[in-house]
Amino acid sequence: MTDFLQTLILGLMLGGVYALFAGGLTLVFGVMRIVNIAHPAFIFLAAFIAYTLNKNLGLDPLVAVLFNMPIMFVFGMGIYRLLLAKGADSPRYTQMTVLITFGLALMIEGILSFLFTGTIRSVNPPYAVQAIFIGDIFIPRAQLYAGITSLILIGLLALVLRYTRIGYAIRATMQNRAAARTVGVNVERVSTIAFGIGAALAGASGALMSFLFSFFPSGHWEWVALLLSLVVLGGMGQLMGAVVGALSLAVAAAFVSDTLGPTWSPLTFYLSLFVILLIRPQGLFGKKMEAE
Amino acid sequence: MSFLEVTNVVAGYGSGPDILKGVNLQVQSGQVQCIIGPNGAGKSTLLKVISGLLHPRNGQIHYQGQRIDQLRPDQILAKGICFVPQERSLFPDMSVRENLKMGGYVLSDRHTIDQRINEVFELFPILGEKRHHAAKTLSGGQQQMLAMGRTLVLRPAIVLLDEPSLGLAPIIVEQIFEIVQIFRQNGMTVLIVEQNARKGLEIADWGCVLDLGQNRFDGPANQILDDPRIRELYLGTHKDTAQ
Repeated sequence: MTDFLQTLILGLMLGGVYALFAGGLTLVFGVMRIVNIAHPAFIFLAAFIAYTLNKNLGLDPLVAVLFNMPIMFVFGMGIYRLLLAKGADSPRYTQMTVLITFGLALMIEGILSFLFTGTIRSVNPPYAVQAIFIGDIFIPRAQLYAGITSLILIGLLALVLRYTRIGYAIRATMQNRAAARTVGVNVERVSTIAFGIGAALAGASGALMSFLFSFFPSGHWEWVALLLSLVVLGGMGQLMGAVVGALSLAVAAAFVSDTLGPTWSPLTFYLSLFVILLIRPQGLFGKKMEAE
Repeated sequence: MSFLEVTNVVAGYGSGPDILKGVNLQVQSGQVQCIIGPNGAGKSTLLKVISGLLHPRNGQIHYQGQRIDQLRPDQILAKGICFVPQERSLFPDMSVRENLKMGGYVLSDRHTIDQRINEVFELFPILGEKRHHAAKTLSGGQQQMLAMGRTLVLRPAIVLLDEPSLGLAPIIVEQIFEIVQIFRQNGMTVLIVEQNARKGLEIADWGCVLDLGQNRFDGPANQILDDPRIRELYLGTHKDTAQ
């Protein structure tokens, strides 16, 4: 029983972090139909920013969340205006964005390699090696803090979407882009802001990644399929779907790792991706896509 | 100069052929004007061009003396011209109330928005009952009611209605046309495209016939209804749907 609880708790905490990692990806797809292959590269870029802030200024990576988010918000809006704003009304826009963001990911990787070399890095705040014990269950403090930070940020995002004017505009654009235009939403501006928010979430994710995982410039590729599997399970574009997808797959992966060994745990994500695409391609919470 | 004036507008989609081939239109303030014509005449395209969803390839559109044909849809809406598309004009996962709230998106005064939403609920009690239901759970008629109720939250100077009666049961169609009268009573100018030509002209002050992207006839709605040539060419074919 203790083993079961232990695995469950570790899985849930990691799941919370995955939910934040995938949140920006699903938001950007929901609003603009952009499949942002560069989302993990954004996260890695942000991890290197947190690393630099820590190394040069001694800034705690949890505090770096507050710096990373505005930096990446502005960066994201700039990238959107520069590379993605054109052609948004094309029927093949989604396919275009896969290629554009693939190129973007390569570019970010190249710049990071140039600046930081290919060495594996990590940030080591004191809590990275500490744990809390509740009875026989141990909870690594790094994962606890990261999980809580993630859930707070996702909760804040949900509140913004639900109650603010920009939140209404973002949801309206997600649900019916043409109708959003007819009620006076400037969908180009909303898209730019939404992409900025997606990048800001990657900014927070990167700060958390910097002390949870080790990272190096080309490491983002292995996250692409993992994050896509979470997003596809929940239904692309569905924020709550991504949260449920992340929590359930992280817990499943934790149990697979516990019983079959850690080598097998990544398989959970890829296998689930195949199974969902075969059985329920629209995901748990998604709607069937209409034919163009 | 008229309230809204469309001059020699040529328009089409993407790299396709011209759908509108030099259309002219004048709309007077406070009137209901109905555009009729066969399928493919360019009626819906004309409304899209006026609302800024499609930019004309040639020609001009003036509203209250100002040129508007190069503005974005949200800028044209801010000037007071609101387009209600044929279908799928709602936000399916938002509640009825949230959809109405989106109608007032460009208004800054929350109090006014809330007050007008309540007026819509008084006018259409069924929407009030279902205020917390997602829009996608409403019937077709209720959805059209909601789309038009949303316009009452904004109270624009001009409403562009694209075939509001399409696919609805006759009894609902009557209600939809009653809403057009409510628009008029609230001082709104209405430009309506209607497949149900007879019905559309009956509630209109002015009518015009569009065919193959060009103006054919233009005149007071009752004259068009009585004109034997127009009856034969454009109303006769819709007799079944009109009855």
